[in-house]
Amino acid sequence: MDTSTQKKWNFSAVFYDLLAWGAEQRWGPRKREFFSSMHGKVLFVAVGTGQDIPFFPPGRDIIGIDISPRMLAKARERAARYPGLLELRVMDIHALEFPDHSFDQVVTSCTLCSVPDPVAALIALRRVLKPGGELYMFEHTGSRVFPFNRMLDVMTPIWKPIGPEMNRDTVANVEKAGFKMQQVSNVYLDVVKTIIASAPEG
Amino acid sequence: MDRRVYFLAGDVLSNAVTGAATAWLAAAIVDSSWFMPAGMLAGMLAGMGLGLLMMPVFVSLFGAMEVMLPVMLTAMLSGMLSGMASAMQVPAIPLLLLAGGSIGILVLLLTYAIDAVLHSKAS
Repeated sequence: MDTSTQKKWNFSAVFYDLLAWGAEQRWGPRKREFFSSMHGKVLFVAVGTGQDIPFFPPGRDIIGIDISPRMLAKARERAARYPGLLELRVMDIHALEFPDHSFDQVVTSCTLCSVPDPVAALIALRRVLKPGGELYMFEHTGSRVFPFNRMLDVMTPIWKPIGPEMNRDTVANVEKAGFKMQQVSNVYLDVVKTIIASAPEG
Repeated sequence: MDRRVYFLAGDVLSNAVTGAATAWLAAAIVDSSWFMPAGMLAGMLAGMGLGLLMMPVFVSLFGAMEVMLPVMLTAMLSGMLSGMASAMQVPAIPLLLLAGGSIGILVLLLTYAIDAVLHSKAS
């Protein structure tokens, strides 16, 4: 278990809901629509305080993981209200405790901005996906548009101690990890995106 | 671009207030004894600092990237232009606040326009 990352997110759990309220209200309708594609056995990575749980479609079979026990303690209240199967577990994305090919779908939400080694994390997700299984990501990334690209570079070292990195090329990281890209759509500028990719067949 | 009134109003408020506040701060730091490029740089840095301090309030109310990016750009530009103006001649405070707020609105409109181009792009 990566204890430094765990400590960071345990600390952030104190104020996370307050700071993220506006974002969740703003992105809520888009997330609800995106998550409606959940099917089969689903792994939801970095469930945090569970702010995304109200946007999950009802009746699904989901395992939610997060590295922070304090985040998950808050998520459990929301999980209890979910009308479906939702199990929460403390787990590091870099050390997934699931057998190979366990899931039909992996879903992330503002996750790959925060993990220490995004490509290694994506390779770990690919391992637990069934061949041809889908990776659904709602992520913020770096930008290719000036001046936003430079601003995100400047803001990254300021935010990193308590939160995410702002300038990651998550689309490229997904491809580096061996996924087959299906669709990339911009939600806000080219910074907030939905990404759909699939694990290679066989 | 989000068409819900709450978020539109929040975008306008965030950028107008940040623009006005950073213009005021830059003018409070820089005066006509400053070399103009130094005034611009000081104004921009002061704007960035104030923008970072104000950001958590707006972010928690109105959204993440949709607030952070235009607000930081507003803070930088408004601080820089106010620093430049103050190095030439100390402007009147009401005029500064109006100019700063207007810069904020212009930056917001610019980001809406860029977003409109990029928004539905898929690959």
